[in-house]
This record gives sequence, C-alpha cells and structure tokens, in this order.
Amino acid sequence: MSRVVRAVALAALSLAAMASFGAAPASAAASAPAVDAVKLVRERLKLSPVLKGDFEQVKTLKGFKNALVSRGEFLVARGQGVWWHTQQPFESALVVTRTRLFTRNPDGSTSNLADAQAEPGVRQVNELIFSLLAADLDALADKFTIAAQPVGAAGWSLVLTPRDANVARFLVRATLAGERDVQSVRIEEARGDATQIRFSHQVPAAALGTDEAARFQ
Amino acid sequence: MSLDDASRPQRRLPWQVAAWAWLAFCVVVAVHQFTFWRGVHFDTDVMALLPQDEQAPEVGRATRQLADQVTRQVVVMIGAPDWASAQKAADAWQGAIDAAHAPLKWSALAGPGSLRDTLAFYAPYRDRLLTPAQRMQLEHARPGALVQSALAALSQPGGGFRLADWNADPLALWPQWWLARASDTRARPRDGRLALSDGGLEWAVLLQETTGAAFSMSGDEPVSGALDRGRAAALAAVPGAKVLAGGVPLFAEHAAARAHLEVNTIGWGSVAGVLVLVFLAFRSLWPRLLMAVSLLVGVAMALSVTSWVFGHVHLLTTVFGASLVGCAEDYGLYYFASRQGAPGAPPLKLMGALLPGLALALLTSVLGYVALGLPPFPGLRQMALFSVVGIVGAFMTTVVWFPWIDRGSVRATRFSAWIVDSFQRYPRFAAGRGAWIVHVALLAACGLGIAQLRVDDDLRQLQGSPKPLIDAQREIGRLLGLASPSQFFVVRGTGADDVLQREEALKARLDARIAAGELAGYRALSDWVPSQSRQSADAALTRRVEDGVIAGVDQVLGEAQSRAAFDTAPLTLDKWLASLASTAGRALWIGAVPRQDDGTAFASVVMLRGVRDLAALPDIARSADGLPGVRWVDQVQSVSALLGRYRHMMGLLLVGGHAAVMLALAWRYGRRAWRAWMPTAMATAGTLALLAFVGQPLQLFNVLALALLLGIGIDYGIFLLEREDAGAGSAWLSVVLGAASTWLSFGLLALSSTPALRSFGLTLLFGILIVGVAAPLYRPRTLSS
Repeated sequence: MSRVVRAVALAALSLAAMASFGAAPASAAASAPAVDAVKLVRERLKLSPVLKGDFEQVKTLKGFKNALVSRGEFLVARGQGVWWHTQQPFESALVVTRTRLFTRNPDGSTSNLADAQAEPGVRQVNELIFSLLAADLDALADKFTIAAQPVGAAGWSLVLTPRDANVARFLVRATLAGERDVQSVRIEEARGDATQIRFSHQVPAAALGTDEAARFQ
Repeated sequence: MSLDDASRPQRRLPWQVAAWAWLAFCVVVAVHQFTFWRGVHFDTDVMALLPQDEQAPEVGRATRQLADQVTRQVVVMIGAPDWASAQKAADAWQGAIDAAHAPLKWSALAGPGSLRDTLAFYAPYRDRLLTPAQRMQLEHARPGALVQSALAALSQPGGGFRLADWNADPLALWPQWWLARASDTRARPRDGRLALSDGGLEWAVLLQETTGAAFSMSGDEPVSGALDRGRAAALAAVPGAKVLAGGVPLFAEHAAARAHLEVNTIGWGSVAGVLVLVFLAFRSLWPRLLMAVSLLVGVAMALSVTSWVFGHVHLLTTVFGASLVGCAEDYGLYYFASRQGAPGAPPLKLMGALLPGLALALLTSVLGYVALGLPPFPGLRQMALFSVVGIVGAFMTTVVWFPWIDRGSVRATRFSAWIVDSFQRYPRFAAGRGAWIVHVALLAACGLGIAQLRVDDDLRQLQGSPKPLIDAQREIGRLLGLASPSQFFVVRGTGADDVLQREEALKARLDARIAAGELAGYRALSDWVPSQSRQSADAALTRRVEDGVIAGVDQVLGEAQSRAAFDTAPLTLDKWLASLASTAGRALWIGAVPRQDDGTAFASVVMLRGVRDLAALPDIARSADGLPGVRWVDQVQSVSALLGRYRHMMGLLLVGGHAAVMLALAWRYGRRAWRAWMPTAMATAGTLALLAFVGQPLQLFNVLALALLLGIGIDYGIFLLEREDAGAGSAWLSVVLGAASTWLSFGLLALSSTPALRSFGLTLLFGILIVGVAAPLYRPRTLSS
C-alpha cells in the first residue's frame, strides 16, 4: 500500500505547499467515498513497513519538445520518510521526512528545500504524506474525492481529485493502478504538465538497515 | 465679617442679573445634556489617552494606522494534541458562538480568487523580485552548478513547487519568494481553516470581527460572554483543549464594563456620602436639595463642555470625574455651615462676606486641576477640563443661587452641634519648645520615609487589564508570530522610491540582527515593492543567470527554449496600492507627511516580528544609527520617558506652586498666612512618606495628585482663617464635612482598577486625611479661646 502513497505524496507535497500561501476556506463537504471499491483496493494492497524498488518516470512538460525520462531507486519507510534516488540521467537524491524536505548532494551534504521551522506549511504537507504512508484512505478522503475501480481479478485503480480549491488549481487528478503493489502513478497538473511513474522490482522489508536509516538524517 | 445692611441695595441688582444669566446658561447645558444622553458615546480607546509625538506627526499616524487595523479583530486559538481534536473543538466553539448571537462575524479571509489575483498581479514582475538569500545565491553560484540543479529538479517527481511555466522561472525562485512573504504570519490554511503547530499542539485559528456600535455604558460584555460560552462548548467537546482569546475589543469591552462599575461606585458612593453628611449636619430641606442641585449642575456642565471641546468624553474621564463630587460640594457646605453659625444674617449679605474666601478657595482648586492638564497627555487634559468646569459650575450655583433660593433658618442638628463644639476642645500647636520638637520629629520621620521612596515611570505598570487577558494576548502574538505594534521603525524619504531605498538600507542591518538571533523577522513595504534600483539590479541578475541556465538545459536536453518575457516597467508603489494585492501590507505605508527641512515628505513603517527579549531592543534600535530618515519608535519606552520627564517637571512646579500659594495667602492674611499653608505642606511630606511606607512607587500621577492636594487642602486652611471670630466653629464644621466627602470620593477612586487613577486616589486619600487632621492644629490663639 505504501506505494500508492509514495507517488501521490510526492505530487501532493509540491502542490499542497504551493497551495498553502493564501487562506482558502475549502468546501469541506465531504461526500462519502465509494466505500466498497475503496475497501476492495485495501484488501488487494499489501502493506509493509519498508518498501524499496526501482522507478521509471516520464515527465511531459509544457514548452519541452521531448519527454523527460529519469530512472532510479526508491525507499519508503512508514513513519520515517521517503528517499527518492534518481540515477539517470542525473544523480540526485530527494528526501522527505516529517519536518524536512531536502536534497542530498553527491558529496553527502544536504541542501534544505524547506523545513517546518522556517515554513509551517511543511509540517502540514509532510503530515499529509504520512497519512498517505499510513494507508489512511479515510484521511485521504478528506482531501480528495476517491473513485476506486477493480481491474481484473487482482488489480485496481484509484482516481484522486482534490477537494481543496487551492490544490485543484495546481493538480487536476492523480491516477494510481496496481495489484498487490502500486504499479503506476499518473499525475496531471493544471498547468498542462503530466508525470507518469512506473514501479518495478518492489521488495518489502520489516525494518530499515542501518545505512538506509542514515539516509533520512 | 460685617453684616450691616447699609450696602445691601447696591449689591442686589448685579447679583440678580448673575442669577438669571446663570439660569439661562444652565438651560443651554440642559438642552445639550438631552441630546448628549440620547446619542451617548464614550471613548474607550486607551490610545486616546496617550500623548501624541508633536515632533513627528508620522509616528502618531503610524500608531493610529496600525491600531485601526486590529481595532475590531478578535482572535481565538484552539489547541489540542492532534488536528482532528482541534477541529472538533473548533466546530463546537463555532456552534456555540453562532447560537449566542454575539455581535461577532467571521473575518473575510483571502479566498482562492484573491490568491489567484495576487499571483497574477505579481507575475509580470517575477524577474524583479528576489529574497536576500536568492540574490546572494545567484550572485555567487557557478553557472554550471545552477544548470545541474535545474536539470536535477526537472528529473525529480512532482511539480517541483512550480508557480510559473518552466521558462518563466527555471530555478523555481518564485515559490520561495512567496514563502518569504507568507512568513508574516505562522498560520496556514488547513482544511478550510487557519492552523499552526507549536509545542506539540495543533492549533485552529479563528478570526472574528466585532459588529455593531461601540461599547455601551450598560456594563454588559456581550463579546466576552459569547466567547466564554464558546470556550465551554469547546472544552465539553474536547476536554483538555486549550482556548486562547485576544484582540482589542476584549480589552475595550472589559475596560468599558469596569469603568461602568466604577463610575457607579465612585459617583453614587460620593453622592450618597455627601447627602448623608448634609442630612446629618443640616436639619432643613433646603440645604439637602440645593447641595444636590449644585452637584448636578457641576457634573452636567462638566460633561457638556468636555464633549464640546474634545468632541467626545473618555470613559476614564467619567471615572475620574465621579470623584469630583467630593470636591465640588465644599463651597455649598461652607455656605450652609456659615448660615448655621450666623442664624440672624440675611443669606445674600452672608454670601457677600464669604465670597472673597470662597473665590480664593476656588482659585487654588482650579490651579490644582489646571496643573493636572499641563503634561501633554490628552486624557489628563480632558480630566483637568472636566474637573475645572465641574467645580466652577458648582461654585457658581452656590454663589449666585443659594442666597436667593435658600430661605428660613438652617437649624443645627445634634451632629453639627457636636462638631462645632469639638473645635474648642481640638488641640492646637502653641508656640514653644514642644511644638518645635514635634515638628522636627515629624519632619525627620517624613524625610526618612521619602528617602525610601522608589521612583518608577514604566508605562507597563500602568497596564490595568486583567492578567489572564494579557497572558492570552501575549501567547497568541507568540504563536502567530505577530509583529509588535508598539516598537517599530519609521522611515522618511523625499518620495515613495526614496522611502523604499532607505527601508532597504535598514533591512540590510536588521538582517544582521536576525542572524544574531535577536529578531525573527520584519515586515516592510519594500518586501512587497522593492525600490526601483533594487528591481532593476535584480531583473538584470535574473536575466543573466536564467538565460545561462536555459541555454545550458537546452544544450543537454536538446531543447530550444527561450526565457519568457516580463514587464519592462518596474512595479511601482502606486500600482501596488491600487491593486488588491496590497491588502496585507497597506497599513505599512503612511504616505504624505508634513515636509521637513531635509526635504522628506513621505513615510512608511517597518515592523518587527519575534523580538527575542527586551534586552535585544537597544541593539535593534541602533540599526537606525546613521541611516538618513530612519527613526526608531518605542512607544512604551518613549511614553515612560515622558512620564518621567513630567514627573520631574511637575515636581518642580509643585514646589513653585507652594511658593505661589504662600504669596497669595500672604497678600490676604499677612503674617498669619503660614497657618493656612502649613497643614497642606505637612500633608504633602506625610503623603510621600506614607506612599513609601506602603511600597507605592512614585509616578507622575502621585505628583499630580499632590498638586491637586495643594489646591484642595489650602481651602481648609483658608476657611478656618477667614472666620476666626464667632464663625470659627461653623468654618470647622464645613472643613470636617468637606474633607470627609472629598476623602470618601478619592478613597473610592483608590479602589479603581485603573492603576493611574488608583495611585491618584491613594495619594489624595492620605493627603486629605492629614490636612483634615492637621488644619485646626495651626489655628491662631484667638480661635481657641
């Protein structure tokens, strides 16, 4: 399950942070999610405390003739953070924890992109990520309208549409699909940009290794 | 005193004219009173009592502008360990407030539309707007490194904090600039609310505004009442939730309710006290009725003239004015006591004989109240005018009406007879070694006490609001990271752009204070609209750097992008002020101010957020040193300094006043003059010693009270000296009654919860008591025989 989260989380991270400037009384009229389908997705997904694997990301950006393709590995540790290591075409690592968002430079040093001390919205955004990490579809339902659908005997797909008007100005929808694991995520932005991510070689684990834990420091 | 009838016919006519003229004047006041009470409006704004800085009108403008912003705002914060509980408590709070039908409405928040409009307004100037950190980064980064980080950002997931197309902001500088603007407050939208996290608690921030008219004098607290119900509902929904409420309306409402209570206790208490004394001392109906009339005329006239001169009457003036009752009745008491002492004398004749002494007594009291109005505090001036008009009104009523209306005889009661008799048994100082020893001992005791007296002019100790309210306000300010409204910089310049440039010079120095940890941040107009030169420099910098980055990325990725076009004209203050985008920072612009010699004619405010502690203020203030047009304003400190300066000045004036009173007394009483002065002098010294003894620090308000003590206390000496023949007993009666009622009024004032009024009341409480006890001790020998 944590993979549903991971990708949506990263998208939401950037979007929700942007949305956090102005005050916006959102219409919090939460319509009940399609409970049965969501329940089904929940049954088909298998959770694990730690999950690693490979990704391939294809970004189509307004103004760019070619799609931007990147590949790398990821690590998601529930309650601790997300490590997103791009290996091709450029080496870079992005780390999200509860209070920080930073890149790890090739020399091992870090550059902060945002932290909760300087920008209070960061904690809120990261909390969203962590509620996603906790596979809390109920909490997600507060922020997104969820349309779930079974696909075949073991598969499923989810379409998340933001409820908050400020988020909706940036994010049109996020579509997730998978079976035991999330296999693909598609994020469509209001600006016309789109990101398609495919996951492979997923390996669940019970806990982080020592060197893995250090990635979140 | 001579009561022969020979001069009576000549004097009658002018007196009659005066009585009718006074009646006409009273009718005018009565008409005014009718309209005044129909649309009664009392000023509750504490700022109105503080002095304006006459040297720098822009400081006063800035203070008012910043205060106006929040004058209706009520901020409520509800904290719980988790956000769901905080929301639940906030919902319960909201339900209770809606049900209470309180004069509150939700503050209009910036909706999604205005956020979009604001972004659109700024978008053409994106290339001209950089944070200091970004400027530093772009100036010093290697071009290759910037291309690398742009490429890395492109390959990272998500939108990458993008607010514009990639070719309009390839380094994602724009969102960071907005984050810096958003740091004006720590609250952020969350699920349709404003929220923040602090110290392990999740807080919901609820912004309300008061609706409806200003506060009535009914003593109700509708806003506080509704907020209490909201708090109870929130606590019922989530036990253990923290609820903080603050805002100017809460303080104002509390002050209004308190003033209402105090006007009633002091005013009606004094009136009741005076009437009881009159009832006990004079058996007839006329004294009781006429005394009430003179008080009524005095107070009505004081209200009318004050509202006519100042345009409004401050609540605290009415509280202080309520104590006037104890002063204004002295003249009537003196008259009736004299009537009782000389039953055969015709009233008009008697008044003619009493007039010189009464006039002198009035003059000293008026001078005492005028001294109150000397410092440039609008509040004190209003109280001074109120009091002067009040006692003159009561005096005139006594002098021109009493002899006409008062008929028959004023018979002695057992009470008044007892007081009159007691005068003969009252001890007096006889010249001799004993008196000298007593005086030396008393003076030594007073000197010892005065040496212990602590001086404290800090404005903060005049803060009369309840501590829980102050604490909640302080906590809200800390949680939200609000800028301080009482310490700021005022920046002057020859034009709008000059002001912005000078602000930027100041901000560069403040950045050093932020780095030193003394300050969390600042709010400045030039954050929203940088100076033109800064904009041009930043536009050139971003053009150079971003052209390079785009070319580099194009080369690596095989693209052919070119940088988006931006507006070639700079963002000006006028454009900004004309747009809705200026809503958040508009109050920082003061605008045109009176031109000074250096040609500066415009001004703005730079506010501070999160000052570490008071010890950091001098360092921060020094940031203005040597910067043209920049001036540090510390309202608390400057008002405290003003209080100290005037305490000193009024202290000197008090000494001068004693000397002037001595001269005036010598002119009328010759070598006996010291007998009228001595009781007040003793009372002044004794009061200072007593204040030290009870641990009261000496402030301007104590000194002002001592000036008033001089004005009132001398009256008693005068009354006793004026009638040293057979009327001495009746003069003593009027002194006892007058001192008792004055003492009661100021004693009630000493119960006020407004610290300035309390210390004023306490000083007079001590002073009047000593004068009353001491006055007969100094009577001449002929009186005691």
